[in-house]
Amino acid sequence: MGPLDRWLRWLYTIQCTMTEMTSPAMLLVDRSGATAVYEQIADGLRRRIATGELAPGAPLPPVRTLASDLGVNLNTVARAYRLLEEEGFVRIHDREGVEVAAPAEAGAAQRARLRTQFATLLACMRQAGFTADEVRRACESEFGARAGASGGGAGGGS
Amino acid sequence: MIATELIVATLLEVLFVGGFMLLYPRIARRGLLFGVYVGESASDSPQARALRRGWDLGVLACVLASLATAYLVYRLAPPPAFAATPLFVLLLGGVVVYLWAYHRAHGLKQPGPPPLAVAPLALSPPSSPWLAVVTVAVGLVGGVVALAYTWRHYHALPALVPVHFGFSGAPDGWKPKTFASVMLLPLMTLVMGVGLGGLVYLVAHAKRGLRYPDDGRSLAAQLRFRSAVAVLLAGAALLVTVLLTFLSVFSVRIGLGLASKLSPVVPIAGGLLTVWALVGTLVIAVRFGQGGARLEQPAGAPLTNGLADNRHWILGVFYVNRDDPSLLVERRFGLGYTVNFGNPRAVALLVLFFGALLGLAIAALLS
Repeated sequence: MGPLDRWLRWLYTIQCTMTEMTSPAMLLVDRSGATAVYEQIADGLRRRIATGELAPGAPLPPVRTLASDLGVNLNTVARAYRLLEEEGFVRIHDREGVEVAAPAEAGAAQRARLRTQFATLLACMRQAGFTADEVRRACESEFGARAGASGGGAGGGS
Repeated sequence: MIATELIVATLLEVLFVGGFMLLYPRIARRGLLFGVYVGESASDSPQARALRRGWDLGVLACVLASLATAYLVYRLAPPPAFAATPLFVLLLGGVVVYLWAYHRAHGLKQPGPPPLAVAPLALSPPSSPWLAVVTVAVGLVGGVVALAYTWRHYHALPALVPVHFGFSGAPDGWKPKTFASVMLLPLMTLVMGVGLGGLVYLVAHAKRGLRYPDDGRSLAAQLRFRSAVAVLLAGAALLVTVLLTFLSVFSVRIGLGLASKLSPVVPIAGGLLTVWALVGTLVIAVRFGQGGARLEQPAGAPLTNGLADNRHWILGVFYVNRDDPSLLVERRFGLGYTVNFGNPRAVALLVLFFGALLGLAIAALLS
């Protein structure tokens, strides 16, 4: 190992230590899928925030970095972030970038809207042949994942 | 003496470039074969190995043809006339062999859906902004000093100004004093210093070519590779600025009769620049591999979008993706980064930099 290599490794180690970069969570987009790319981005982030894998206050990649990594249009990522902001999952600051928002007590109107959406989803699942037990297990699995994540720290890339 | 030195330099140049061409397939990311994403397992298949052997033989044939050309050219016309012909023959032959290998590699491509796109959600380590800032600042200062010094003494310069210097540092070529012949070097100092400094910034922010799932190994390898290339470029940019600034200032001083030859800083900076560029490139190629290929071993997970998506690559060399906001992306074949030709901003920067250099070169020829 040459001096340049040692120096670069040292520099990189310092950088990683300062930013606590271990194995980061990864966001996946499947361009062969029927779902729009911005919905896939929003859904991927929503799930990680809901399970606690991305903690409140955690900074998210800037629009340009995320779009560059995914090879998608800037507007696609911006649209996903705006959608998540409307839903209360993230906060967008002009200069500081995007960060995960803390869970907030939803108002009556929002609760009613979510209940309606949940009822629609349940109806779709029932129509697709899901049993009540399967739906219950899916709910428990989602809430269990969140409890596990908040108890044991963020997991690796999945 | 100069002819002998030129012949030795040409031979070394041909051997070095030929050696690098032989190295390229061995430092590529696993899954990529001569600019085509064929998949991780297919890139290790017997057909892929046979293709690499074909490339080796083709490159060796090009090197021999280049050396034969050098022998013929130097017998017919002494250097420096046609001094670049052997290298031109080697590069032209390399393009032909590459196109052959590229079309053969296409046959090994696996059909399938577009590859997954993957992005890390954690913020990456900061990419050394000071390196780019310092490089641009030094380039700017060097360029402004050279311009100001030359401008200040422009009217005092004689009718003939030195424009070429021998190995001893003494001038051996003169031209009539015109605005272009005098201001060319300081302008070149400014363009090269600032342009290369800007390139350091772009490299430090280049698109990452990741694998998934690999526990972040390819991301870590990518970041180390990117830092190494940025350091190499920054060092080269600083040495170019020092070299051109001293060259500009001493051209004026010799023209004014204040000095008889160039400052010793010029050959020292030139020598350091050559060693830094050659050794640095070799270290990055052998130790890191293209895009950190040698750091991410074992690279079993598939490459993701960008590098893996054949639809966005023309001849395996030109990346064209209108949606992708990236300015620079990792090359599929070779070492370093290339421009996203689908991004108008990237194309504009490329045209601006090379347009400036071309304009200066034309001005020099016309002066």
